[in-house]
Amino acid sequence: MSRKAMALGAMMMSAVLLAGCAAGSGGSGGDEGSGEGTVKLVAWPGPEGDAMTEVVDAYNAGQGEEDGIDIELTLLSRQDTFSKEAALMASKSSDVDIYFTASYNIGQFAPSLEPLTDIDTSAYFPVAAEGLTYEDELYALPLDVSNHFLLYRKDLIDALLSDPAAQAEYERISESVLGEARAPKDPNEWDLDDFTVAAAYFSQSENPASPTEYGTILQAKNLLYNTMIWNDVLWGYGGNWEEDGEAALTSDAAKKAVQLYADIYENEWTSPDSSQAEFPETQAALQSGDTAFAIQWSAAFAALNDPEQSPDVAGKIAIAPVPGGKTHVHALAVSLNKYSENKAAAKKFLSYLATADAMTQYAEAGGIPAVPEVLEAQTAINPAFEQVSQTIAENGFSEPVFPQTFQAYSKIAEDLSGAWVGQTDVDEALETANANLQELLG
Amino acid sequence: MSHTVERTRSIARERRKRTTAATVLSLPLILFAAVFVIYPLASGTLTAFQSSTLLNQANELNGVDNFVSLFRSDGFAKAAGFTIGFSAVVVAIEMVLGFGFALVMDRAFPGKKLFFTLLLLPIMVAPALLGIMFRLLLNGDIGALPALLESIGVSVSLFSPDSVIPLLVVLDVLQWTPFTFLIIYAGLQSFPKELLEASAMDGAGYVRSLTSVVVPVLKPVLFAAFFLRAIDAIRTFDVIYVLTAGGPGTSTTTLSIFIYKTAFEAGDFGKAAAAALVVLVCLVPFVPFIVRRISSTGMEGKK
Amino acid sequence: MSALAPNPTEALASASSERTPKRRHATAWVFTIVAGIIALVVNVPLLNAILVSFKPDGEIARNPVSLPASPTLDHYANVLYASGYDFPRFFLNSAMIAVGTVLVVLVIAIPATYAVVRLGFGGRWIISSASGLRLLPAIFFVVPFFILFSTLGLQDTIPGLIAANTFLNLPLAIILLSSALRDIPQEIEEAAAVDGASIYRTLGSIILPLLAPTMVAVSVLVFIFSWNDYLFALVLSTSSATPVTLGAANFITSTGIRWGDISAASVLSTLPPLLFAIFAQRYLVSGLSSGAVKG
Repeated sequence: MSRKAMALGAMMMSAVLLAGCAAGSGGSGGDEGSGEGTVKLVAWPGPEGDAMTEVVDAYNAGQGEEDGIDIELTLLSRQDTFSKEAALMASKSSDVDIYFTASYNIGQFAPSLEPLTDIDTSAYFPVAAEGLTYEDELYALPLDVSNHFLLYRKDLIDALLSDPAAQAEYERISESVLGEARAPKDPNEWDLDDFTVAAAYFSQSENPASPTEYGTILQAKNLLYNTMIWNDVLWGYGGNWEEDGEAALTSDAAKKAVQLYADIYENEWTSPDSSQAEFPETQAALQSGDTAFAIQWSAAFAALNDPEQSPDVAGKIAIAPVPGGKTHVHALAVSLNKYSENKAAAKKFLSYLATADAMTQYAEAGGIPAVPEVLEAQTAINPAFEQVSQTIAENGFSEPVFPQTFQAYSKIAEDLSGAWVGQTDVDEALETANANLQELLG
Repeated sequence: MSHTVERTRSIARERRKRTTAATVLSLPLILFAAVFVIYPLASGTLTAFQSSTLLNQANELNGVDNFVSLFRSDGFAKAAGFTIGFSAVVVAIEMVLGFGFALVMDRAFPGKKLFFTLLLLPIMVAPALLGIMFRLLLNGDIGALPALLESIGVSVSLFSPDSVIPLLVVLDVLQWTPFTFLIIYAGLQSFPKELLEASAMDGAGYVRSLTSVVVPVLKPVLFAAFFLRAIDAIRTFDVIYVLTAGGPGTSTTTLSIFIYKTAFEAGDFGKAAAAALVVLVCLVPFVPFIVRRISSTGMEGKK
Repeated sequence: MSALAPNPTEALASASSERTPKRRHATAWVFTIVAGIIALVVNVPLLNAILVSFKPDGEIARNPVSLPASPTLDHYANVLYASGYDFPRFFLNSAMIAVGTVLVVLVIAIPATYAVVRLGFGGRWIISSASGLRLLPAIFFVVPFFILFSTLGLQDTIPGLIAANTFLNLPLAIILLSSALRDIPQEIEEAAAVDGASIYRTLGSIILPLLAPTMVAVSVLVFIFSWNDYLFALVLSTSSATPVTLGAANFITSTGIRWGDISAASVLSTLPPLLFAIFAQRYLVSGLSSGAVKG
């Protein structure tokens, strides 16, 4: 037995040495390549991937022929794209030439990316370009912008605003919720208090006559994207993650922001299932007609407004800015792999993507390009474009880029998601989140 | 004298032949292990002692830093606690139900072949897709189950913090009871019939025969079903990750979810490898004990 | 399954209480009903997926429970050709990976297990370490495998994924085969050796036929597990070796989950393992029972 153990030990040792050598020699730092040939690119399915597919097809059939470049696009599922890329980066792989990246992970991915020089970013939303800049270098080319809106049932709000009896009921509920008898308003003028009262008014737990079961749906699952939505509330109350590099999640604004979620959840002004809700659940809640309004991603509007997909609510959903006046903005982007062996060709394609023509095509194919001029010229394609452009310019904010941004979003969701649904104490949860954030800020 | 020498030689020759044959027969395994097992195992182990993050890819050895940081926060311990508790509960239920199903199926009745196949169907659905199917089925707004319950006047919120853990237990049981059923059923098929006849002659009742004859003799089978299921329960990932992503908070974070998040959200591959290694080291002492149990024949108990 | 053989617990039940043939017949139907209910309950998610896969998008949110009012094959069309994803190739890839893994696992595991169990090669620690491997979360191996495969040129190839799935499933095969081998009386081989048969011939013409049921059982389980693999496929395939599990995940988009399409994909991807299992059903149970779990 001991001889076997020794033999096994020796085998392990030599393999460890082997592994050490292999790891040491990995990662040559990539190569410029010939400037021609196949360039591999990753994207995720959905409007961004669909639009990218069309842009790539057009490029391959047109300018790609001249350049001698063939783009190969691979779509990965939304939930796995960044995991796959992280695994590729950890292995210093040259498998993919152009990565799909975003403002929230550019800091973490930057060590594996090649900074982009010679890109003129003046045509892009400043908040998008800034969100992709890390240590004064641009690490990604903005492609698509995402922000939040209040998506609401215009028919229900109109009915409320034109019915004096309903208004009286609304004021009564407002009195009991806020201690102040507010009259109903157009959602474009809501602050977070109006949001709360309306959530109560449209919930059967508070108002048995409500046309919907729940006023709103909170996206409270332990998921980094849900931190981004909660951030709107945090910023709406005047809070922020940090001040001068110090974590600031124990501020009054942060407490109010978590408390708002907990109140809405505990009073059942949102479905009890929203503790596990994210984008698809929010869509379902709005599509089914069970819910009157929600803070939701800009890209959601198209499906809700499509009679094929949402027969019950299409044409009844309208867009307003997020109550509180602040919306998270991030850019989805494309970045050059530092270890790519065909960088010159990849750069040619990136330059093509930076042209107004390519971005117009991208918009026509269903994307939301990060270029205000293109958006404003293409409102015929998507009526939401104008509001996207305006909202991002006026109300958009972006958390600072630091190496651990991605993890911070995840960690905050992990630390706060219990408190969002009243399961853990608000102050304690924020203390924990603050300490963890401080550590990640470095 | 020379006769003995001849015999010794022949035995030695025989032994040599056997050794050669054993080596030749093991060659595919040895080659495969050399390429695809030893290296990944060693490389993974090495990673556990390196600083290997997306932010710092120099892969320098950092001693036990990864292990220190693993135990400094309570995330790993909490995940381990949840995993052990969850596994214990689901495996216990799956064992009891699997045994019950096997008893139900262990006789001839109309439609048996069809139902046997249908009972095995859940393990054929890819776990990654099954999670998505649950998410649709259980959705409060568009899911069939809540709608069905509502139509009979029952209003439940399956995903509220109080009900989410029982829900996950039920789902795991639905998914994996077929697995324990299959193994126990198979064991029942080779159950020595004489034992039962003997016990029937004693005039023992059904339940007493079950507990005093069937269970003791089936012990190795039950043990095997328990072990195979327990290994996989400890690695539970897909369905829980899709449904709750480990939340609310960290209340449903399993070890696999913890390790996955450490690697892919925090980008800390060193710490993830360290966590996996700790799990392995804690469980490995049980393995030889269990393997001995499983590969011994049940007949030994009878002797 | 074994309708001809007397079933132990049935024998037990009928021995402990006397019943008329007529009552026995009625009892049999009770078991049909019980088994039917169990089979229904465990398959609710799949049944729901089948239902949803025939509903147009607009109806999915509208009528969660009812049968599709205007059934559609659109989702199946999307899965098979209309979505722009090459699902026929994903299915082909999955089939090649699953069948390839089954073959490689058997080719490696059978002779090696024989060498360990019968010829005393190595010893029990080989089996122990094989089961130990299964305790490690697959994530542990993801990056090492990726680096290894890139070096060997196996990245994004079918042989690469066969190797990865073989790695995942070898422990299971070795455990099941080793205990099946222990159940085969050693005298059979001794008799063959006396007759002058070589070890290889003994293995090929005497042991293999006896092992056949276990081999089938191992094949079915390995087929199911490698058909359903997700994590290794995610990391080790990019485009040309993508299996169907990964392809189906393309319906999880940045604007929600395409419920109808992913339901249709789930239903379709369950069919090949199901057919394989039906085909092998009788061996599956007898194979397992002479295997690891021999009572």
